[in-house]
Amino acid sequence: MSRNPDVIVIGSGGGGAVIAKELGEIGLSVWVLDAGPWYGNCKWPNPNQHRGAESSDDPKDLDGNLYREQITRREGDMNDIVTGKFRWGPADRRRGPWFRNIPDQAILWQNAGIGGTTLHYYSNSPRPYPHSINHQWPITYEELIPYFEKVEETLPVEFAPTTSKEAVFYYGAERSGFSLNDSLDVSTVGYRPQPNAILPPNEHLMDPNYSLEELSHMEGCTLAGHCGQGCPYGPSLEKMAKRSTNISYVPLALKTKKVTFRPNAFVTKVLTEMNPSGEHQAVGVQFRDTWTGETEEVNAKIVVMAAGCIETPRLWLNSDLPNNPWVGRGLTNHYMDTVTGTFDEDTLMNILGQPEINPFVGHTSGARLDYPGVGMIETLGESPGLTAQQLFGFSQAGYYQYNDASKPGGRVVGEPLKEDMGDYRRTLTLLAITEDDVQYRNRVQLDPHIKDEHGHVPLVHYKPSHQDEKKRDYLVEIATNILKHAGAKSVYRSNLAPNLYIHLESTMRMGFVVDSSCEAYQVNRLYIADNSVHYNSAGGVNPTLTTQALATRTAEKIVEKYF
Amino acid sequence: MRSTAPQDYTLSTFRALANTLIPPPTNQDELESTPGASDMCIYEYIVYALDHYIPIQTYVYQGNIPLALPTALMINEAARQYAYTNRPPFSYQQATQSNHHFFSSLSRQDRIQTLAHLEDLNLDLYTLPTPFQNNAGLIKHVTDALNRLTLFGYYSEWSSYGSTRLNPPDERYQEFFPLSWYHVGYPGVSLGYRDFRGFLLRIRRNEGGR
Ligand SMILES: Cc1cc2nc3c(=O)[nH]c(=O)nc-3n(C[C@H](O)[C@H](O)[C@H](O)COP(=O)(O)OP(=O)(O)OC[C@H]3O[C@@H](n4cnc5c(N)ncnc54)[C@H](O)[C@@H]3O)c2cc1C
Repeated sequence: MSRNPDVIVIGSGGGGAVIAKELGEIGLSVWVLDAGPWYGNCKWPNPNQHRGAESSDDPKDLDGNLYREQITRREGDMNDIVTGKFRWGPADRRRGPWFRNIPDQAILWQNAGIGGTTLHYYSNSPRPYPHSINHQWPITYEELIPYFEKVEETLPVEFAPTTSKEAVFYYGAERSGFSLNDSLDVSTVGYRPQPNAILPPNEHLMDPNYSLEELSHMEGCTLAGHCGQGCPYGPSLEKMAKRSTNISYVPLALKTKKVTFRPNAFVTKVLTEMNPSGEHQAVGVQFRDTWTGETEEVNAKIVVMAAGCIETPRLWLNSDLPNNPWVGRGLTNHYMDTVTGTFDEDTLMNILGQPEINPFVGHTSGARLDYPGVGMIETLGESPGLTAQQLFGFSQAGYYQYNDASKPGGRVVGEPLKEDMGDYRRTLTLLAITEDDVQYRNRVQLDPHIKDEHGHVPLVHYKPSHQDEKKRDYLVEIATNILKHAGAKSVYRSNLAPNLYIHLESTMRMGFVVDSSCEAYQVNRLYIADNSVHYNSAGGVNPTLTTQALATRTAEKIVEKYF
Repeated sequence: MRSTAPQDYTLSTFRALANTLIPPPTNQDELESTPGASDMCIYEYIVYALDHYIPIQTYVYQGNIPLALPTALMINEAARQYAYTNRPPFSYQQATQSNHHFFSSLSRQDRIQTLAHLEDLNLDLYTLPTPFQNNAGLIKHVTDALNRLTLFGYYSEWSSYGSTRLNPPDERYQEFFPLSWYHVGYPGVSLGYRDFRGFLLRIRRNEGGR
């Protein structure tokens, strides 16, 4: 680990891993510090129990078999917000998760670790809608196209295959009058398969001469439905089917021989100096080893924050960087809702030739309806615990059975819950995702009263606008229609609470906190490469590809300006 | 005996909660196939989750704020206030008895109403125990979490860790197939499914002008 690298990257998730690989390929020496564990690296055979090594910079350390042992695919073991391997907390699972103050009904779903929140993301990698970028962001959509292409090729991205879920969705969308949209640059309403960062199914998947066990060690998706649990299927770590950044970009970064990753390293301060002309500039970071509690400092020519939409502003504020009224402000979150249709066996026999949909089969989200100006709708097929918690246990409308008719949705409990979950195999769930407004009041700030070992904890607040509510209602109406046209015998809306934090964006907005090359206006040599730099909610489209394209571009900007 | 009393109190309150959200079947014959959440010890899962949920720094140390006991106290206080207002005559003796299991003494329907009242902050927040006293945000957050924890505990594989369920996460082992997975027809961990029905579209790279 070379002391004082050219660049320090804080966070190795959706954006951080991408910029590290790009900078490494250009030839700069890079350190990536990430707060969480590293799965699938032989230097950490028991990453949740022992500290293991300090860092890794060799692609030979990557171990697909180890990854498969660790990524158990059981939803409780992997996704439990308190104790799961994928959670926002230290590698040591005997300890609690790191606290965020969210004074609402809320699920804030982020992960610490190499791969960050992409460890459990569904790999949906659509481009944003051109209209949501042009004439709004300080850059144009057209300027981003070469970077979208580069990321799509590197991950790589391919349209999702059709399984039962998608087939029912396409059938319903077609019958409700929508048409297929064969494009990556979307300006019109239509349905299409999700462009996913998941390798296409192996050509032998349907051939009974190959056992599923064999296929799970071969290249290509096996439609196992474990996207949310990490998916460890493939011949080696870098060829696993689901392309979280720990699978896609991190191995490529290591191959450059210029990039060192250090997990279990929580950055607590960005260090700055005043240059002779009186301007602040970043000179390094202070971090804390999450196992030993020791703090260290390291210097670099450039610091890149890629700690995600909550921790990047928190770190700015805890580092006492210059005051900027937009730091942490303007949080967007795609104000989501779910609508679930339950089908009769006969109806399914007609559409699918089988009496069940089996929502747990195939890509967790493999099909979408784009609705530029409003948002989008996508299919969602999670495992039972996640399904029950999100569809029936989380709502801003109280309890369905006890509500008057004025409030749609609500939690379902008691016998009706068991009945609804009993129909699980014959359900299709659609997630409505709103293009929500940037509002100054929606924010990440420091909690003035509560601290943890890394300083003041973040306090998160989000309340959609009336316009957002109207858009969401409209999407819910469309989703309901699609399910009804597909033949659903009953349709149920959750009316989710707004504080389901999955697609956080725009807390360090371009044009307000960073300039159009993603360098902080007030601190030279300090860049940001995560979802927080988005100017807005990118049309209500899954945000990660946009972040990854920007991170690719930012790497070039850094080199142009400083090297 | 005395030292275990708060623990019994906490567990029995969450047993009532689990029973409220996911009750045992009315028909005893179905107990094996669709047990209630308390038959699957989900209250222990809730207690573990609450006690490990908030690790923060206080003046003296860095550690978890055990939330299970204060949450149980909060639910019982909310139940007391709910019953006092909505279910008279509620005797003076009942109302002043401390540590009474008010929540579990209510009907299932009233327990749900109690949770709804709590979530809507429809009670005197001053009477709640620390850290909930006058802390509207935390009350809402934790009351909501009780629902999610119960449902996730029940429908995930947690119960199948059997005798190891209360061990630290890395020392738990599945002892059987989760009943709830069996009930909903989830096959569990899978290597793959042969349900490939072709591609509707493929991405054409480097063809320009897409
Ligand atoms: C269930 C789920 C499904 C999703 N599916 C999709 C999808 O299909 N498509 C899509 O586009 N998006 C999806 N998302 C959202 C997606 O995960 C995020 O958009 C993406 O991960 C954001 O990237 P990021 O770099 O901003 O943050 P993250 O990926 O969260 O990365 C931040 C990293 O920084 C580290 N870190 C934080 N603070 C510090 C610190 N102080 N010091 C050191 N390290 C630190 C963290 O450990 C983490 O690794 C999903 C999210 C969830 C929860």
